[in-house]
Amino acid sequence: MALTEIEPAKPRRKRRGGGAGYWLYLLPGAVLFILVIGAPLAGTLYLSLTKWSGVGDPTFIGFDNYTRLFQDEVFWTSFKNTLAMIVAMVVVPTLLGLLLAAVLFDVIARRFKPRTAAALRAAFYLPQVLPVVVAGIVWGWILRPDGAFNSLLDSIGLGALRHDWLGDPHTALPSVMAVMIWVQIGYPIVVFMAALQRVDPELYEAAEVDGANWWHRFRSITLAQIRPETFVVALTCTIAALKVFGPVFALTRGGPENATNVPSYFAYFTFFKKLQVGYGSAISTVLTLIIVVVAAVFIWLQYRSERQDREV
Amino acid sequence: MGRFRKLGVAVVLAAIAGTTLAACGGDGGGGSEGSDAKVLKLWHYESDNSAMGIAWDKAIEIFKTEHPGVEVQFERKAFEQIQQNAGMILNSTEGPDIMEYNKGNATAGLLSSQGLLTDLTAETEKRGWDKKLSPSLQTTARYSDKGVMGDGNWYGIPNYGEYVMVYYNKDLFDKNGVAVPTTYDEFTKAMDTFVAKGITPLAEAGAEYPAGQLFYQLALAKADRSFVDNYQLYKNPVDFKADPLKAGAQAFADYVAKGYVAKDSASLKAEDMGTAFISGKVPMIVSGSWWYGRFKDEMKANWDSFLFPGNKLNAGSSGNLWVVPTSSKAKSLAYDFIDITMRPEIQALIGNNGGVPVAADASQITDPKNKKLIENFNTVSQQDGLAFYPDWPVPGYYDVLVSGFQSLINGSKTPDQVLDAIAKPYSDGVKEITGK
Repeated sequence: MALTEIEPAKPRRKRRGGGAGYWLYLLPGAVLFILVIGAPLAGTLYLSLTKWSGVGDPTFIGFDNYTRLFQDEVFWTSFKNTLAMIVAMVVVPTLLGLLLAAVLFDVIARRFKPRTAAALRAAFYLPQVLPVVVAGIVWGWILRPDGAFNSLLDSIGLGALRHDWLGDPHTALPSVMAVMIWVQIGYPIVVFMAALQRVDPELYEAAEVDGANWWHRFRSITLAQIRPETFVVALTCTIAALKVFGPVFALTRGGPENATNVPSYFAYFTFFKKLQVGYGSAISTVLTLIIVVVAAVFIWLQYRSERQDREV
Repeated sequence: MGRFRKLGVAVVLAAIAGTTLAACGGDGGGGSEGSDAKVLKLWHYESDNSAMGIAWDKAIEIFKTEHPGVEVQFERKAFEQIQQNAGMILNSTEGPDIMEYNKGNATAGLLSSQGLLTDLTAETEKRGWDKKLSPSLQTTARYSDKGVMGDGNWYGIPNYGEYVMVYYNKDLFDKNGVAVPTTYDEFTKAMDTFVAKGITPLAEAGAEYPAGQLFYQLALAKADRSFVDNYQLYKNPVDFKADPLKAGAQAFADYVAKGYVAKDSASLKAEDMGTAFISGKVPMIVSGSWWYGRFKDEMKANWDSFLFPGNKLNAGSSGNLWVVPTSSKAKSLAYDFIDITMRPEIQALIGNNGGVPVAADASQITDPKNKKLIENFNTVSQQDGLAFYPDWPVPGYYDVLVSGFQSLINGSKTPDQVLDAIAKPYSDGVKEITGK
């Protein structure tokens, strides 16, 4: 009864004020947005059109930084490495996370106790809790020439494979990628397991009664039901991969020979080490633009997928 | 609306008043400026148990005794904190009256060229600090109007020095029947002996400064002062494909090929190199005097050091500088403090705690190991042998060198290719600074 009393009031208020009254509620958020995001973004944009060492007055040079950027080999290398980071931080963790979440939810939790699945989920999530620089330093110890990984190879009779994993340009990027998979894997697992909990168990039971095997159930029920979460995971992980900095800083500082350089580290290096604030701002601006475009594409895909679902 | 307008006007007025007051507070001036100040804000980034930390604690104590009624507000900062924020801090009114700051074109040079540091020339001559510093130590204290070190006005005063040498493990030398080398030939023979016994003679760290410094030492063997002036002070263009740099890169590649340096040391950091030496795993390292105190504290084996055999020029320089920000409100007190740090008793304190004082009375240094460290430094300094560091010439060059010498350790590039890779960022950087 209460609902029917409130409902008609809404359109009346809307007609009277035309929604203008609501803008007031957006004000705190808008002010914060302008202060925390809008102003620094405008500042970076402006600086990207200047030459500046960080002290004194910037000199306006137009689009010179951008022209230089697109001819800079290191910039392109850093973006090539970003693609590798997307594989390590989005593609592999999402696929593997999907599979592991389904196994934990559907097999482990049923055969053993749900508590076992929860414990395993927590174990997978652990790297996410560790500060990324700490994880980076520890992995640096493991992968160093006299580190635990080479000792392990020795002890299992594979001493011939001993290697300077982070020091060789051929193995540095795959090593960083492996660490990133380890760091990332827990996040999709936790999200997907939470998503699976809202799936109606009757769907699975009905499918089982109809003779669907695990793979059929995974494909037709699990994947279909948790699609919104998959979008969220893919979007957030892609943004994380595009702006990844901490692990690269802690593990390799972009080296050897730029083999693991990424745009964020490249921007940091240009800003703080080379004191080329204008050029560093141009790198950051391009990176921001790419992130915004990627985010927009994802959101549009998600919106389209939801609309299709509604239409079905 | 009226209320908001009043508030706006009040805010603007307050802001104008603030800037006016700030402007009154900190203009440049003579030696007596700020002598009546009641507070000296002092920042430095030495740890409290380091030689400099100990010496400067004592200097603060003496300063307080000699300036009763002046409060010293000391804040210990992190090196990186100052390195990355100095420009912003000194542009504000929140900066200190005196601060320890990095020497070099990209740091003290840059700030001095922007008018953020006080010109100390008159005070230096008046108080005789210039007499206590050898010409190669003065290089890092003086900057041109473009911020290039070497000559021009004084913008900082160094109290201590540092230089690169060879540290060796006496026990390992004795055990393997290797004599301490005095010439470069003996040095390579000693390394051959270790290699023949399956021991890598030099610990190296490709991911940080040590590799670049070894390369520089090897290049300096074939260099003279004019090369250092050209390379570091841009007096003339530098040909990377000619000696000494060519010889340095080739010698470095040979060190890797002959097994003097481990092929899998590209990812190691300076700390790894130091701890390998401390734990007695390697007989030698080529690195700086900043390790001295730590080896004294932590090493169980007998060890000693010698200057890189055959080199007249060695990587090394003055230590960091005391600078007085232009916005300092207690300049006169800041000069008094610098003067105290130059006194023999403070200099001796640096020396007796494993540091390298620039103006110490050798007879006051009691520990024989510390004495040797200082004597060797004096030898280098007096023969005008401090050649600074290879990464100094242009901002960001450190990482360029790290990357270059990682390639040589990995064998992924030839010395020629590495010289190409490090030549371009150098010439780009020099162009950026000098406009030539």
